[in-house]
Amino acid sequence: MSIEIRGVSRNFGEFAALKDVNLLVETGELVALLGPSGSGKTTLLRIIAGLEYPTAGTILFHGEDTIRRDARSRQVGFVFQHYALFRHMTVFENIAFGLRVRPRALRPSKADIEARVMELLKLVQLEGLAQRFPSQLSGGQRQRVALARALAVEPKVLLLDEPFGALDARVRQELRSWLRRLHDELHITSVFVTHDQEEALEVADRVVVMNKGQIEQVGSPEDVYENPANPFVMNFLGSVNLFHARIHDGEAHIGPSSVPVTAAQDASTIGYVRPHELDILRQHNGEPTIEAVIKHIHAVGPTVRIELARRDNGELMEAELTRERFADLALKAGEEVHVKARKLQVFTEDYSI
Amino acid sequence: MAVSLAQPQTRSLPPRRILPGFGLSLGYTLLYLCLLVLIPLSTVFIRAGTLSHTQFWAIIDDPRTVAAFKLTFGASALAALVNAFFGLLVAWTLTRYSFPGRRVIDGLVDLPFALPTAVAGICLSAVYADNGWVGRVLAPHHIHVAYTQAGIFVALVFIGLPFVVRTVQPVLQDLETDVEEAAASLGATRGQIFARILLPTLFPAVLTGFTLAFARALGEYGSVIFISNNIPLRGEIVPKLIMDKLDQFDYAGAAAIAVIMLLASFALLLLINLLQWWSRKRLGMA
Repeated sequence: MSIEIRGVSRNFGEFAALKDVNLLVETGELVALLGPSGSGKTTLLRIIAGLEYPTAGTILFHGEDTIRRDARSRQVGFVFQHYALFRHMTVFENIAFGLRVRPRALRPSKADIEARVMELLKLVQLEGLAQRFPSQLSGGQRQRVALARALAVEPKVLLLDEPFGALDARVRQELRSWLRRLHDELHITSVFVTHDQEEALEVADRVVVMNKGQIEQVGSPEDVYENPANPFVMNFLGSVNLFHARIHDGEAHIGPSSVPVTAAQDASTIGYVRPHELDILRQHNGEPTIEAVIKHIHAVGPTVRIELARRDNGELMEAELTRERFADLALKAGEEVHVKARKLQVFTEDYSI
Repeated sequence: MAVSLAQPQTRSLPPRRILPGFGLSLGYTLLYLCLLVLIPLSTVFIRAGTLSHTQFWAIIDDPRTVAAFKLTFGASALAALVNAFFGLLVAWTLTRYSFPGRRVIDGLVDLPFALPTAVAGICLSAVYADNGWVGRVLAPHHIHVAYTQAGIFVALVFIGLPFVVRTVQPVLQDLETDVEEAAASLGATRGQIFARILLPTLFPAVLTGFTLAFARALGEYGSVIFISNNIPLRGEIVPKLIMDKLDQFDYAGAAAIAVIMLLASFALLLLINLLQWWSRKRLGMA
């Protein structure tokens, strides 16, 4: 079922949590709402679920206006950051809850409920824990129970509010890829909220970047990462180096070096370069480069991060090299090197970060 | 000796507690309980022990005693039950909604704790007497509260009110709203959310409040003697009966009744505590 958000605004007193938000989530899509805290992403999710109401605008499920329907009748599965399990019920009863509270005419038989719960326990890989209480489970297990509980009522839409936010890094990583596989299996229209760009880029089909109650950019993970619409998106999706640049004849000049850019107008602007777009050279190869001194080398992980200070103005930069490249160069802290930007982004509109 | 030095240290360390002062605090607790509770109460048993078996049974089996026990336990249980229900409602109102004067009402709840109960008894009987503000409305319908058993019930409800409110309030405040939201998104109606989610969570606290209100009502004397007619077999509570025996210098008789009162109260409280322990365990809190 598709979800269409039309002109949704939400004010809390003076504070505008959402300002005229429009978005279409296609059937079967897995969409991430990504943004810093206070960007309105959770409010938007709660409005879709019917747990919160917009000040203006409406929500359409499959083209049908649902704004007057309450949470109970929207057939939405909601997974909370802190699980929100019923702690006086066993895992079995938690998952069966949504089926048991149905009106008698629609309620499945006892045997059907049991079969459905067992099937879901298998899906979330928690067979054998049916009779445990939530307090006897780990955080990751609790969140999987919460997910099974939400899926039990066969929702048309699955909404997840920072589902892995309360878990430790390892479990988060596991559940992330598990959720992706689960979605590929079930194809249920899903929206999840996160402030973790890595999580959004890894799991989602499409990423919606939000800031201050507005959508900054919507696109595939590759799209928003490679072609950010503005400095906010660029900054939020990963670390970035800022350079004061002058644009002249389709080239951005940083100190003595220059990079071709698409911006046409001549202007003084700020150029953004991702750490992996910075190359380090030992020798001057004739091209003008930025001279810098290596401050720190972080050699843990698949890539090597190098902190550098510019010779001319002392500004710090971060470069990311592959292990092979790093080994070829045999860099050491304190060495003087030449830095060159392979790709530089400039944004003509003036944004504050 | 070289031999003993070569022995590896396999002796395990004695268990040690991280928190200091266990011995001191337990000793103090026991001393405190002995001086204030156990020793004074033991004199009741010693005094009752001066009676022979038949004398003891004669006092207990007396219709007046039996009536007093029935009235005291019956009215106390009923009052505590009503308090469990309305106390929950008051606590709910005070925690779930915000309205002007909420703090004032919150403060009013504690008044029965502080007010001398004799004052409460006098006020209640004035209001509920047939010519009082409330009694005047009830009298034409042949409902008489003051100077009847109903009056005793009203007085016991009054003194027990704060217990349920104050035990349920903190639990209600700690309830996470996302649990209710989760239930709603799963299709539960408001009634189902209350019955299946909120009530089971609140039940242990309500039970604690009920127990406290019940225990308090069993021992209540001041307010009841002012609002009851105090007629033997009809409006006499056990504490009043004990006072009567004391007035007639029948110390052994008073002690005999006190012994039964103590044992019955203790048995009931123990039973409720066991129920409490069981329900907490079900909630995964134990």
